[in-house]
Amino acid sequence: MPRDEWDWWRNKPSAPRIAVEDGIKARSKRGAFATQWWAKRWIAVLEGFNLGARLQRGRTYARGGQVMGIDVQAGRVEAKVQGSRRDPYRVSIAMATFTPADRKRLGVALSASPLHLAKLLAGEMPQDIETVLEKERLSLFPVRQKELTTECSCPDWSNPCKHIAAVYYLLGEEFDRDPFLLFTVRGVAREDLVAEETAAPESATRPVEDAPKSDFWEGTRPSLDLIGDIDPQTRHALLDRLGPFPFWRGDRSITEVVGPMLDAAAGEAGRVLGS
Amino acid sequence: MLVLHAGPHREHLLVWAESNDPLGDVKTALQRAGMAMAGDRSMVQAMLPPGPSTPLLELAQDRPSARAKARKKKPVKTTLDTLRFAQRDAIQLLRAAAGERVLAPGVLVGADLAWCAMAMRYAAALVARGHVVPSVDGDRAIWLPLLVGDEGERFAALVASMPPVVMAFDPAADARVATRQFVGALADAIARAPRRAQPDGRSLHERWLTALTSGEGRITASAEELTRLKASVDAWLRPVMTQAAAPFRLAFRLEEPVEDDTAWRLHYLMQGRDDRSLLLPAAKAPRELLLRSLGEAAAISSTVERELARGHTEGLDTDATGAFAFLTRDAAALESAGFGVFLPSWWSRKGTKKRMTLRGTARAPRFKGKSGLSFDSIVEVDWRIAVGDAELTETELKRLAKLKEPLVKVRGQWVQLSAQEIGEALSFLKSKGQRTTLQQLVRTRLTGTSGTLEIEQLEGAGPLRDLLERLEGTREWEELPEPEGFSGTLRPYQKRGYSWLRFLEQAGLGACLADDMGLGKTIQTLALLQSDWPLHRRPTLLICPTSVTGNWLREAQRFTPALPVLLHHGTRRARGDSLLGEIERSALVISSYSLLHREAETLGRVAWRGVVLDEAQNIKNSETRQSKAARALPADFRIALTGTPVENNVGDLWSIMEFLNPGLLGNAAEFRRTFFLPIQTLRDAEATATLKRITGPFILRRLKSDKSIIADLPEKNEMKVFCTLTKEQATLYKAVVDEMQDALADSEGIERKGLILATLGRLKQVCNHPAHFLGDNSELPGRSGKLARLTEMLEESVSAGDHALVFTQYAGMGTLIQRHVAESLGLESLFLHGATSRTRRDEMVERFQNDPHGPRVFILSLKAGGTGLNLTRANHVFHFDRWWNPAVENQATDRAFRIGQTKSVQVHKFVCAGTLEERVDELIEGKQALARNIVGTGEGWLTELSNTQLRAMLTLGREAIGE
Repeated sequence: MPRDEWDWWRNKPSAPRIAVEDGIKARSKRGAFATQWWAKRWIAVLEGFNLGARLQRGRTYARGGQVMGIDVQAGRVEAKVQGSRRDPYRVSIAMATFTPADRKRLGVALSASPLHLAKLLAGEMPQDIETVLEKERLSLFPVRQKELTTECSCPDWSNPCKHIAAVYYLLGEEFDRDPFLLFTVRGVAREDLVAEETAAPESATRPVEDAPKSDFWEGTRPSLDLIGDIDPQTRHALLDRLGPFPFWRGDRSITEVVGPMLDAAAGEAGRVLGS
Repeated sequence: MLVLHAGPHREHLLVWAESNDPLGDVKTALQRAGMAMAGDRSMVQAMLPPGPSTPLLELAQDRPSARAKARKKKPVKTTLDTLRFAQRDAIQLLRAAAGERVLAPGVLVGADLAWCAMAMRYAAALVARGHVVPSVDGDRAIWLPLLVGDEGERFAALVASMPPVVMAFDPAADARVATRQFVGALADAIARAPRRAQPDGRSLHERWLTALTSGEGRITASAEELTRLKASVDAWLRPVMTQAAAPFRLAFRLEEPVEDDTAWRLHYLMQGRDDRSLLLPAAKAPRELLLRSLGEAAAISSTVERELARGHTEGLDTDATGAFAFLTRDAAALESAGFGVFLPSWWSRKGTKKRMTLRGTARAPRFKGKSGLSFDSIVEVDWRIAVGDAELTETELKRLAKLKEPLVKVRGQWVQLSAQEIGEALSFLKSKGQRTTLQQLVRTRLTGTSGTLEIEQLEGAGPLRDLLERLEGTREWEELPEPEGFSGTLRPYQKRGYSWLRFLEQAGLGACLADDMGLGKTIQTLALLQSDWPLHRRPTLLICPTSVTGNWLREAQRFTPALPVLLHHGTRRARGDSLLGEIERSALVISSYSLLHREAETLGRVAWRGVVLDEAQNIKNSETRQSKAARALPADFRIALTGTPVENNVGDLWSIMEFLNPGLLGNAAEFRRTFFLPIQTLRDAEATATLKRITGPFILRRLKSDKSIIADLPEKNEMKVFCTLTKEQATLYKAVVDEMQDALADSEGIERKGLILATLGRLKQVCNHPAHFLGDNSELPGRSGKLARLTEMLEESVSAGDHALVFTQYAGMGTLIQRHVAESLGLESLFLHGATSRTRRDEMVERFQNDPHGPRVFILSLKAGGTGLNLTRANHVFHFDRWWNPAVENQATDRAFRIGQTKSVQVHKFVCAGTLEERVDELIEGKQALARNIVGTGEGWLTELSNTQLRAMLTLGREAIGE
């Protein structure tokens, strides 16, 4: 791999990067960054820019927790990355948003295809969503360079620099977690996709008619067993369903940390229940 | 006495006391309950109706219940003196109060405190299920409960069961919101208690999780960081939160084809989260909720996914194979992911209700008369195959196999068939005449399965049939006469019980006799022991609660006088080798549960002929040391006696059955899986039925109200209840006797008579209770064998829905009994004595006789209540102390036993064994003439006895002391 001269020039004499205590830690410790196809596609866009060694440094930055915060908004992602200077660099990635007309067409197209919409709402990007988008001459991922404007306040002249790359990788992981964010970046809101035709019923509880006024001092027996079934096998199910935390900053993943805490808590609960 | 109340108020639990004693306050109450809890005293406004919450607080106030009048009054503003606790500090109290009526003698649990305890247990269950997640509240890290899956329904049930008094501090607040806060705070307190598993780093996220394990939960972070954290946590929890907060969930209903149509239909519905009976078609659902739910369901069910791709959002059509796949695979997965699932009624969790089944006929090949049949005998079984009602031939079976349909309609019934089942069925047909043991056969027949196939019918031929049918109670077992040497008469149902015990004993199977209190479990057991002793001459161990050891001894002496009995109990009991020697010579060894685990090792060395557990609910918890010790005792036969309906409590059943017939219900884990969980949590009727079928042959329970029993029972059933003295009572008793003998030496005439009569009175008071004798208003629990036994028996009779009269000749003792019943059982009782006004008396009688929620215990002084009253609602009469005048006692008994009485009346006469009470009782029983002529007139005749006779009459026997 040809060594990037600017990196060589900058890194050799300069001080090493300043360690960050509270940076975002990439979930990926080695190898590929994303696991889902849509996030891989996002990373592939970055890797298509031919960044050379800056890619590897970007990964090291992402894994080393140098990125201090990422803010995702419609059309724009802003981040702070700690480099070797005292003040962190400011990184921004701007992406063209869909026009209102685009969004309307997209909404119509998706409402005709409930599976795509359903999966999207359930936190999964349907495999063939691109076909739907292509028909409307839209693309979720940037296809032309000019759709994507990246900036960094670091002195490196090449763009994207390793700081931008680091942010890009972490974004990939976040898209992994919540594919809808890709739409958010494109300026699409949930309401654009789901046309709510029916007014939501306010409550599923029937009004209690003439409930027998209970004695002030006495309650009633609960209508069902409140303790219910306690199956240790499914104790982590809810935690697993929540999955990774957005832009997690810990060394171990949130499930790795909270899992044993939940077990200890369940032990205490068992003691309280007297079993 | 006081009642402890509690209610949540903002982030605290306020605990307050309602007392009839001006000095009774929360702090002392908590101390009495052994709880060192420091709360902040705080005066808080509450809305309460005037008057006490319970009539128990109006004891000894001789006027109509103030509560009855106050009930109708509206709540008024009241200032309460409360102790304020952070929720985490209140858990100890709530744990102690859970499921109890009484926290400590004289400290009752109010319905509001009981509800708070229930809420705490629910919070603990939420934590144990992992239904709490880390979250943020202001600058605190908290564990937040999420009402996913069934939790919504449970939570709604908790709210609905709340007594209004809980909200007394915030009457305007929404009970739902308050409960939500309260449960949340408790779950948080429980989950953060372990203070363990801290993350390693110092990042914002790790500081957040670290704060989850600290007491306060404060996160060290700037305001800006907290805002950022909150946004991230919200994003993280959003998918589950929106689902848990939605008033509806997606549900699926599978419908079978109508008529000749072959299409099965799966309907999508929206089901109310709190009210499961509320169903809406999917078309009416909010679109985002429906689509998101369908998207989640599509990840579980490929059928739903495929149909969704075709644009179907309201349901789908499928064929038999698709329906079967949904029934067997998708339905359970969807249900456990929190979706509602409705399946056709012919389908159960285990498949179609009609299945291919086995039918078998068993015969014993070389059967040589009755005595030749034992549980190790080899039997042969001839098997046949049936589907629904029809038996199938091999050819038909093979044709079914060729269909390769998982779900076929055979004669109008949907039946599920697998290649494995058909294969098994065919191989069963080939193996004509399978050999097995009789014991295995019984077990197979009771469990009703073999491999994957269900056994629909397994019959015995010839004598085998008799045995199996007797075991299952479809045929009467042989009814035996009283055994030789048994001195007493068994009533017809007792003969049946004794014969049943003997039948199971001879078959080497354990039996649980669970007759109602008063039906004579003791006498039936003694009959069995009498019949067994001449045959084997080996000892049987009887374990019972301390309070009834004396009773067993006396009953054995009365009904089985020829059996050598050893009372292994008390401080002077034999130990080691001398104990083993004594045991070897005995037919019956009576001991207590407390000794069972203390001397488990020694008792385990004896080759017992039998082990009998009286009040066997003592081993309902299989993990306790006494349960383990009981199971470890080697014995040829085992019997459990209990008056509580064990068969209704699934959890307790395993431990007792494991003692009786080890392995019958599988090991604890298997039992939990096959019976406990399905029955307790899923209300699985089939599992319930199977469990009843398996355990049924080993449990005999007759109720006093059973028609067949009523016919056998005398209308009035009198029995003695022999009690023991505590050490304190024995010491006092001896002191009184010694004092009298000193004084007797130099007194005569009127003076002598007066001395004797006074001594008799004092001895009777000692037998009643030390506090009665001392008159010092001291503590009651643990000091009188009689009172302990009375309390147990009252508890049992009240929990069986019965009503009881308790007679005493002393008004002072009546007050103590009333106090003790209230303080230790939390039960209201009535007390009628000489000073009760006429109107008050009429009101009491009216309440006892007619009020559906009235007190079930009526205490009467013999003089005030012995005549005139009509108290036919009572079917138990207790004579706590004795007048020794049968006529007076009978007259009192007749308050219950008179015209209008529809049940049989159980009369329990309390006697302290080894004391003058027993000696006088013997005189009355034994010497009818004397009784009628002399004793019957009162106690005066005792003063005519010589000093020597008197000493013999009063000296304390060895067997008197029960500890």
